[in-house]
Amino acid sequence: MSVALAERPIMSPAPALRPVISFHGVTKVYPNGTTALRDVNLAVHQGDFCFLVGASGAGKSTLVRLLIREETASTGRIFIDGHEITRMPHRKLPKLRRKFGIVFQDYKLLNTRTVAQNVAFALQVTRPGQRHLREKVEEVLWIVGLEDKLDKYPDELSGGEQQRVAIARALVHRPRIFLADEPTGNLDPDTSWGIVQLLLQINHRGTTVLMATHNREVVDLVRRRVIAIEDGRVIRDEAQGSYLREGEATI
Amino acid sequence: MRRLGAALWFAVHTAGQNFRRNLGVSLAGVFTMGLILFLVGGALLFTHSVDSVLQAQQAKASRIKIYLSDSASLASIMDFQLRLKNDPRVISVTFENKDQAAREAAQNPDIQAALNALGSNPLPASLNLNVRQLTDLGQFDSMARNTPIVDKTTATDYNPDVIGKLRTVISVISLVGGIIALILLVISLVIIMNTIRTAVYARRTEIEIMKLVGATDWFVRWPFILEGVIGGLLAAVFSGGIVFLGYKLFVQAAQRSLLSVPFDASYSAALLFLLVLGGVAVGAFGSYLGVRRFLSV
Ligand SMILES: Nc1ncnc2c1ncn2[C@@H]1O[C@H](COP(=O)(O)OP(=O)(O)OP(=O)(O)O)[C@@H](O)[C@H]1O
Ligand SMILES: [Mg+2]
Repeated sequence: MSVALAERPIMSPAPALRPVISFHGVTKVYPNGTTALRDVNLAVHQGDFCFLVGASGAGKSTLVRLLIREETASTGRIFIDGHEITRMPHRKLPKLRRKFGIVFQDYKLLNTRTVAQNVAFALQVTRPGQRHLREKVEEVLWIVGLEDKLDKYPDELSGGEQQRVAIARALVHRPRIFLADEPTGNLDPDTSWGIVQLLLQINHRGTTVLMATHNREVVDLVRRRVIAIEDGRVIRDEAQGSYLREGEATI
Repeated sequence: MRRLGAALWFAVHTAGQNFRRNLGVSLAGVFTMGLILFLVGGALLFTHSVDSVLQAQQAKASRIKIYLSDSASLASIMDFQLRLKNDPRVISVTFENKDQAAREAAQNPDIQAALNALGSNPLPASLNLNVRQLTDLGQFDSMARNTPIVDKTTATDYNPDVIGKLRTVISVISLVGGIIALILLVISLVIIMNTIRTAVYARRTEIEIMKLVGATDWFVRWPFILEGVIGGLLAAVFSGGIVFLGYKLFVQAAQRSLLSVPFDASYSAALLFLLVLGGVAVGAFGSYLGVRRFLSV
């Protein structure tokens, strides 16, 4: 197993021996009998930046859903921060999910709320009565470059801007791990590139980032760790990988 | 304190918003629930009224006349009367002689005519007993039959049939009333559940986000439970008011037609309390069930 030790930012604290995410022989069979993941073994360290690539239906989203326990592994064990989550009781899931910041291809914004209210919502429902709410919201919106759109509504924004709001909302409770499931799926190349830049910047601040994507240009340009999945199996895990295996034919 | 206040504010605010956003469905829910509570309250009050009328009948029924044979001596009658008076089951004993019996019977004009035609007085003297418990009447009846001075042909006016029927009517009415109330409560539970489901459905994205960012189940649940409680409370207050008013009018109408249905103030207060409690409980539990399915992940 190749682990992206070289990719850890220089300023990060002394390398933790324990990976922040690890999969041990994880298989996922959906109730309808579809096997989405087969014997997946994986370790991601604090501060890593990983691309998760593979054809449609390979199992990328399933892997993300297992991490936040939206789905439960059929066999095998998954550890987050040293805690096994495969058998974690339901009541502990909120705490687990607060370790993650998550964005999806569809932005999942509330259209009846402004940009600032959408971001604030994440804190209001997890930490009611949070002090300095406004400052915290403004800070993350500044990070994603939307400090001048605070009082706009989502449907007044472009797709890229909406995804930035979703990223801000995912960041506002300072997650250890940032998960992005095809965050650029609905965006044009330039806008996609902007979003990836933002994720790299977030990673640069020490947050572990896992991004599932079909975006070949981005993966090949960034040259970070690539985990390739095919038919539910990890077929490749390279520290400075590309979208396709070196020499593999372009389809 | 600050966290609790903020959480409470969130729940109240969201519940109010839900109620307003789905005003049609919410009002329909409150209306049906109110209707059901009205029926439950009405059924309970009706049963209670019938019950109190029957209770009054029962009080009348706990009297028994022991007819004395014409040959009984006054001394033996007084002896028997004293024995009955000392019985702890007896409230009072009065002696009614043949003349008094005739006078009382003569209140019915047909009997008076018959007595006049007869010329003599065939009515026996009697000891009239008031006993504490209806159920003891049978024992007095059989005791009378074994007493020598008691009339051999008709020992008493005891009629187990009437009393038995009265008791059956009371218990059947209470049982049927109870079962109807229970069924109606289950129906209102389902109605609240579906009202809340509509509200939950309208908020599914919000709930999805809440779960995603790590809000607890209770945090997601509270606004809906509160909404159910508010709905139940509104329904209870409206239906309670209408039931109370209806009861008052019913008692007035009954009294005008000389039926002595008593206005039971403490019972109606208890009922009002019960309706509010029921409305709140059904509202809360219905909402709990309504959100449950959406919280499984
Ligand atoms: N809830 C589900 N029930 C049953 N099968 C499912 C479910 N979700 C996904 N699958 C199946 O599991 C496999 C992996 O799906 P998954 O969504 O993880 O793929 P993916 O790599 O994210 O694909 P895409 O790139 O299209 O998003 C697919 O065959 C899919 O049909
Ligand atoms: Mg997917």
